[in-house]
Parts: sequence; C-alpha cells; structure tokens
Amino acid sequence: MASRRRMLLKVIILGDSGYVNRKFSNQYKATIGADFLTKEVQFDDRLFTLQIWDTAGQERFQSLGVAFYRGADCCVLVHDVNVMKSFDNLNNWREEFLIQASPSDPENFPFVVLGNKVDVDGGNSRVVSEKKAKAWCASKGNIPYFETSAKEGFNVDAAFECIARNALKNEPEEEM
Amino acid sequence: MKSVFSAPGDYIYFKSQVPLHRIPIGTKQWRYYDFGPKVVTPLICLPGTAGTADVYYKQIMCLSMKVGYRVISVDIPCVWNHQEWIQSFEKFLDAIDVHHIHLYGTSLGGFLAQLFAQHRPRRVKSLILSNTFLETRSFAAAMPWAPFVSWTPSFLLKRYVLTGIRDGPHEPFIADSVDFVVSQVETLSRDELASRLTLTVDSASVKPLLLSESFITIMDTNDYSAIPQQLKDQLSERYPGARRAYLKTGGDFPFLSRPDEVNLHLQLHLRRVGLEAQPELVQSIPKDGTGGGPSKENDKEDRDDEQKDNGGNPESNSEESQPSPSAPESSESHGLDEQLLSNAEIHFIDQKDSIILKPSAMSMNQHSAAAGILLRSTWEFFIFSLLPLYVDSLYIYSNNAWKLRQLV
Repeated sequence: MASRRRMLLKVIILGDSGYVNRKFSNQYKATIGADFLTKEVQFDDRLFTLQIWDTAGQERFQSLGVAFYRGADCCVLVHDVNVMKSFDNLNNWREEFLIQASPSDPENFPFVVLGNKVDVDGGNSRVVSEKKAKAWCASKGNIPYFETSAKEGFNVDAAFECIARNALKNEPEEEM
Repeated sequence: MKSVFSAPGDYIYFKSQVPLHRIPIGTKQWRYYDFGPKVVTPLICLPGTAGTADVYYKQIMCLSMKVGYRVISVDIPCVWNHQEWIQSFEKFLDAIDVHHIHLYGTSLGGFLAQLFAQHRPRRVKSLILSNTFLETRSFAAAMPWAPFVSWTPSFLLKRYVLTGIRDGPHEPFIADSVDFVVSQVETLSRDELASRLTLTVDSASVKPLLLSESFITIMDTNDYSAIPQQLKDQLSERYPGARRAYLKTGGDFPFLSRPDEVNLHLQLHLRRVGLEAQPELVQSIPKDGTGGGPSKENDKEDRDDEQKDNGGNPESNSEESQPSPSAPESSESHGLDEQLLSNAEIHFIDQKDSIILKPSAMSMNQHSAAAGILLRSTWEFFIFSLLPLYVDSLYIYSNNAWKLRQLV
C-alpha cells in the first residue's frame, strides 16, 4: 500500500534572481511574494514529485511566514553569474534560511547552488567565475554547484536530479 | 460540550467575532459562517463526514479576517441523495444571494463540490479538492449495512464515524486537529450523521467537468488520510492539468493541523484563478447578518438543547416535531414550515403505503424524504417500545433456562 505513495520533496529557491519561472514576478500581488510549481523527476526507478517554491527574489522571506519553508528538503541558492552582488548575497540567503527553517541538522542540510544566466550575452558579461563559485561552495561543506540557464533549460534536469538525490540522502527511509 | 476537550484559544476568539448563521431553506436547516467583504466572490468550504462548518475556523480567521476574502463554511445539511444535495445547495446559494462561487471541499465535501460543479457549471468558478474521490462505490462496498443507516442509533453512527479517524500517536498539531474534529462529531445529531453516511454510499460518480483544469487545485496530504490512496490517484488522473498543491504531512484535517500551509495554498489558488482580496474592506466585527441568529450565544444554546433532546429520546428527533429555533427570525421560513407540515400530514395518511415503499424512498424527492423522516421516527418508536418486551422475554427465557439446568 505504501509503495504507491509518492515521494514528495519540497525545494525552496532563494536568491536575488528568480529562477524557476520568470513570469511569476508579473503575477505577484502585494500579499504573497511566492509561488510554486511541481515537477516530476524519475531516477532509480522511482518517481519523485518536486514541489519547487520560488520567491523570484521579490521579498525577504521572513515575511512569507513559516508555511513557506516548513518541511523543506532542499534549499537552492541562486545567483546571476552576471551580477556580483547576487553572488555576494548567497551567504546571507543561506544563513537566513538556516535561521528561518531551523532544520534539525543544519550542518548537513542539503543546499544546491545554481549559477544562472550563463547564456546571457554569450557569456561575455559574466563576472562570477565558475572557480570562484565552486570555491565558495567547497567552503560551505561541499555544496553541489551547477551552471544553468533557465531559458535554454541547460543543466536544469541534472540540477533537479541532484536535488532529489540530496534530499533523499538527508532522510533515507523516512516514511513520507 | 461535556467532554474533557477544551476549546483552543483561537477558536474561542473566533466564536466571539464571527456569528453562526442558522436558516431554514425549504425543508433543510442550514448552519454556516459567512465572513469577509460581501463584494468578493466567496470561497465556500465543504467539510467531510466528520466535519462541521466550524472546522474551517482557521481559514476564516486568516482569509476573511486578515487577507480580505469572503469565506463561507457550511454544515452539510440532512440530504439523503446527491440530487437532493445539488438542489438544496443551489437553494442555499440563492437564499444568501450568492451566484458565483469557489469551492474548497475536503473528503466527502470535495466529492459534493465536484458533483455541484458538474451539474451547475456556470456557478462554480474554481475548485480546491483535498483528500477526496470521484465515486462512492468502494465506500458502499465497505459498508454493507448501508441500507440500515437511517435506522441505526446515534451512538453506533458516531462510533462508526469516529473509527474512521486514524487513531494512534500523532504529532501535537495533528493530535489537536483530531481532538477538535471529534468534539465536532459529538455535536452532530443522528440524522446529520445518517445523512452524511448515506451520501458517501449513495451510488454516484463524478462525470467530466466543464470547468477548465487550470481552475482546479488538488491539495492532498501525503502522509495519510482516510481516503485510500488509490481513490486519490484516480482523482489526480482525472484532472491531469490541475495544480498539485500537495502537503507533506497534515493527516485528515490539514485545515486544522497545517492552517498556514493550507491558507497559503488557498490564497495562491484564488490569486491564480483571478480572485482579488479586498484587504481594505476587512471588518473586525460584522454588523450585518444574512438572516442568521441574533447572537452566537443563542445559537450555541440551541445546539446544546438539540443535543440533549437527541440523547434523551431519539425518537422525538424529527424535523416536524421540532420547529426550528431560528424560524421566528426568518420571514421566509413560515410558508415553508407550513408546507412541510402539510406534507407531513399527507404522508401520515399514506403511511401504510409508505412502509412498503420505504427501501426506495431515500432516492426520491423531498416529499418522500419528509415521509422518510416521519416513518423513521415511527419505526424507532416501535423498536423502542418493543425493546423492553424483548429484554423481558430474554430475561424470562434465561431465568427458565437456568432453572431448567438446576433441575437437571
């Protein structure tokens, strides 16, 4: 009976740059600065439903309330490789997440870092190098790093699969 | 409330702010809350078998009292089949002067919401379906005693409904939600319980809806619920384009155990379907009332009285013998009550025929429903008056048997 139950993973995306769906930001009304989408990912012969929450970088997420990050399985920190400030802010976002979500094991909570918009201007306007980003990730306990472009869908699936794998590692056989 | 359960503080606050309305419409008594700006298309909450209008108080407190939506939560009235539900609910909407609605239905309420959307497609603007199903077949199969529901005594019905609520160690919020719902079940009359159980087994299934799937959100809890996973999957497959707002945990009553998440999803849904809140119109204490009771204390007393009556002599519990307590306040009720009385008289004369027709009476129209109620009371009267005789004879028999054994 339990075998048919879906694996549901809650993923929270934070960062100065909205990632999942840019068109969210147009729909945002004053009340809630967030939205989510669901994505099915399959690996190891299992089907995972990712519920991906995004703030589109609109709001400091304290104002979103507990509901937003309760039960998060993974936090994705996004920066725009063309904007240095968005990279500098990663640390703030990470710390804020750990404070707000207060996961039981903050040291080992799964984060993923995405360097977004690598395709903009053929990469000529890039200011955050892959090396620099990877160095930061390594210093925070080997956070996996992906370079993506939401527009081209480049690397997006790999990133999501990693998210699923990561989240699973964190709570291996917990009944969901 | 006689139980040890003590009402949570926010619920006490809610009761002090939001009036409970009770109005008779046709032969049905409607009990509901209606709060928030009247200019906004309402979100109507439909509870499951073990729920009342009160179980959604956390949604009203957030969405109506803070965000600026109009939320109406109702008790499922005593209807005995799905056609009657649709007609009765439509009359209710007409009576409170609401045309378009958004529906949030959990469990049985979600099923009834879909049926209404199917039969009255122009009224239903969007659906939020939570831990619910498309057809009643499996419930009917699981309840072979379904034909006798309307003759089953109250305590057995209550026990049956309560055993459907998952027992066992829960985390505190889920445990509180279960306690709250159990305390609500205690307030339900026998007829209310019987009608809901009848609705869950009355053979019906939801046909394809005209409503676009982008206006449907499925809000299932992923830990467990009384509705089997198979039925929830079936519903998911029916609406592949619906938005999936799954909650990782929350049990059977996420609106109580995970109110902030549920409220967030409800807001996201309403925003998605284009319904704007009116935060500037949020009222603190309502001055109006669409035909409801003058104060909530009165309503509460009414309900408690009803309970006492039910407990004391169940056979007297019929709509005819108890004129509705709020009837004098409502202008439209008199005509309807008279109509009801005359129906009752007619059926009294026809009683002999009705007895033969009884098994099919439940699937008929309101007239026979009224007859059904009357007939049921008669049945109960017989059963209850025969019961002492039966017990006596048992006693005599066992006494004799015992004497016989002694002799041998």
